[in-house]
Amino acid sequence: MKKKMRILWLSAIACNGNTHSFLNYPYMEQFLDDFEFIYHPVIDSEYSLKDIVSKEITCDILLIEGAISKEFKRADVSVVDIIEKYSKIVQKIVTVGTCATFGGIFRESGYENTSGLHFDQEEPSENFQDLLDKTISVSGCPVHHEVLVNTLYAIKKEVALKLDNFLRPKEFYAYTVHNGCTRNEYFEYKVDNHRFGELEGCMFYDHGCQAPFTHGSCNKILWNEVNSKTRAGLPCMGCTEPTFPRQNLFNTKKNMAIPENLPVGVGKRVYLTLAGISKAFKIDRLEKKLFDD
Amino acid sequence: MIKLIEKIEGEAKLNFNFKEGRIDFVDIEFMSTRNIENILRGKNAFDALVINPRVCGICGHAHLIATVQALESCYDNLELSNKAKIIRELTLNFELIQNHFKWFYLTMLPLFGHKQEILKATYPSQLMGKAIAIFGGQYPHTSYAVVGGVVCEITEIDIIKLQHYMVETLKFVEENLVKTKSENFLTCEDAGALLDFEGDLPDILRQIKKENLLEYGKSYDRFISFGHNSYFKKGKSLKTKVTHNISILHVKESEVPSSFAKNVSFKDKYYEVGPLARAMVNKTPLIADANKKYGDSIFSRILARVCEISQLLQHSKELIKDLDLSEESYIEPSMDISKLSSSGYSAVEAARGTLIHKVEIENGMIKNYEIITPTQWNLSGGTKDKHGVSQKAMIGLSDVKTAELVFKSFDVCSVCTTH
Repeated sequence: MKKKMRILWLSAIACNGNTHSFLNYPYMEQFLDDFEFIYHPVIDSEYSLKDIVSKEITCDILLIEGAISKEFKRADVSVVDIIEKYSKIVQKIVTVGTCATFGGIFRESGYENTSGLHFDQEEPSENFQDLLDKTISVSGCPVHHEVLVNTLYAIKKEVALKLDNFLRPKEFYAYTVHNGCTRNEYFEYKVDNHRFGELEGCMFYDHGCQAPFTHGSCNKILWNEVNSKTRAGLPCMGCTEPTFPRQNLFNTKKNMAIPENLPVGVGKRVYLTLAGISKAFKIDRLEKKLFDD
Repeated sequence: MIKLIEKIEGEAKLNFNFKEGRIDFVDIEFMSTRNIENILRGKNAFDALVINPRVCGICGHAHLIATVQALESCYDNLELSNKAKIIRELTLNFELIQNHFKWFYLTMLPLFGHKQEILKATYPSQLMGKAIAIFGGQYPHTSYAVVGGVVCEITEIDIIKLQHYMVETLKFVEENLVKTKSENFLTCEDAGALLDFEGDLPDILRQIKKENLLEYGKSYDRFISFGHNSYFKKGKSLKTKVTHNISILHVKESEVPSSFAKNVSFKDKYYEVGPLARAMVNKTPLIADANKKYGDSIFSRILARVCEISQLLQHSKELIKDLDLSEESYIEPSMDISKLSSSGYSAVEAARGTLIHKVEIENGMIKNYEIITPTQWNLSGGTKDKHGVSQKAMIGLSDVKTAELVFKSFDVCSVCTTH
């Protein structure tokens, strides 16, 4: 019998969104043939949570979902203690989702010093420094199942993944969410009259879309294999980033009519110049309905 | 005896008191909270549309719909197209369906001594996720329902794709869950006759009968359901007597010293919510018959939940016919949220029952937010003189294993409860 890689899926301060996003993985049979969970929040496992916290069960990957605080307990044991115990024996640690990586929404849940494993939003955390070499982050609220599962396969196959400054695999996070959005042309040519409920228009100008400055593959690896938020017409909320959740998410913050946050690497002056030129295009096809009569 | 109940989207601690070999009292404790209501305070009202789906990974969509409806109730004269209403109802139906598949194949089967059927849980629930994603962009955690409608525009081709996912899900039901044409299942009015059907659901129902579990899990036979839409009715059912004139003003939340979960009552009484409650209020013949024959036992509770899969698939099929794609998906509210100071509430039927959101807005910012989740209703921890619904259902049982089955027949959601 071939050896399965053993995973401990540990939830800290979480909503289980990553758990359910993972269940969307279409090739589950194959996955469960290659990996086994010594504990998972939903899938049956050989051990109970009580076993996990009271004993030391052999495993290869520690997977953490949810924000982390010493004060937060699972089965009467602090999640920090559980992480410390298992981080010593595993080959790799994967922080799954934005809470486990940066603190995310539940950073504000009121527990003492709540943060991600290695980052408190953008700031490197002082804890767990010795684990930095072991950790890969797959942020997102929730993570995309393919990003998670293929990262786990990369670990299994001992592929050396290139990581960004937040320990995220570049394979998935070198892109911006803007890449592949079906509304791209409205952005390129600065057609800034988006209304909700339409196929047309770009949400960057008025409705808070963060896709041009958010790292992720949402428009490259589609959600549920069929769509993405921005394609559907919902602004990208920047959920893979340390700043998630920002405030006033459905509004674009502007200074003197210029969006405060510009596409990654784009300077304000250049943006203004280019926007002026792009606006001159006046492309008829983009001014009217996509499916016109 | 204290038992940690695991894999209920978190855990709960049940402290069993035995008297002469039978459970005399059960204390239910949730050990944590995530303070979502505090997180919301001081934020822009629309941000709740992004934060609230994150209350729960398995029923977050219900929290989105509850949020948008609570915010909309703060406006006077807000316009909403019929199309937007139907789309919201469809995606919420799909969330309920995916939940019920997961509950049956992942939570229930092991409690009857079978192996989890992971693929039978994930395959149809993935199809329902795709169906939601057509409108919402993704599942879980979309915020596609906004004040004034939905953000998406849909095309005839989208509807065709959607119908494929639904047909495929229905096929799964007919080939696995209840092996018959869905019409036969949906028109069956005799709960006893169901035992002659083939399929994963009838197998479990037969096992309940064979192992003499038919009496297990009975509570007050008292049900309530507030979220009404084109399928579910609002009302309460007491020993099969149904009244529809109920007001949310009589719903009260109260603190429990031993637990992070608050109790919920209606006119000082505990009520069961969820698929069985909805079916009793809706007077669904098959479920009413099960309740008549076997009471509000695990038999009726399991049957009601699984039956909802077929009912909601069928109803969604009809709903799609009412969609007029030429209508607006979104109608911009005439008043800017930043000028709005008001309060409102909503009640929607989530997978596990009535979910209530209440909001207070001041100049477009959230001043106060309250969430009452279905599991709070079912798991309210009463006293020895006045048991909560699930507490009462466990009294008299002789072992903890059966009590866990009864407890989980309510489809307990720990994350929701510890919002």
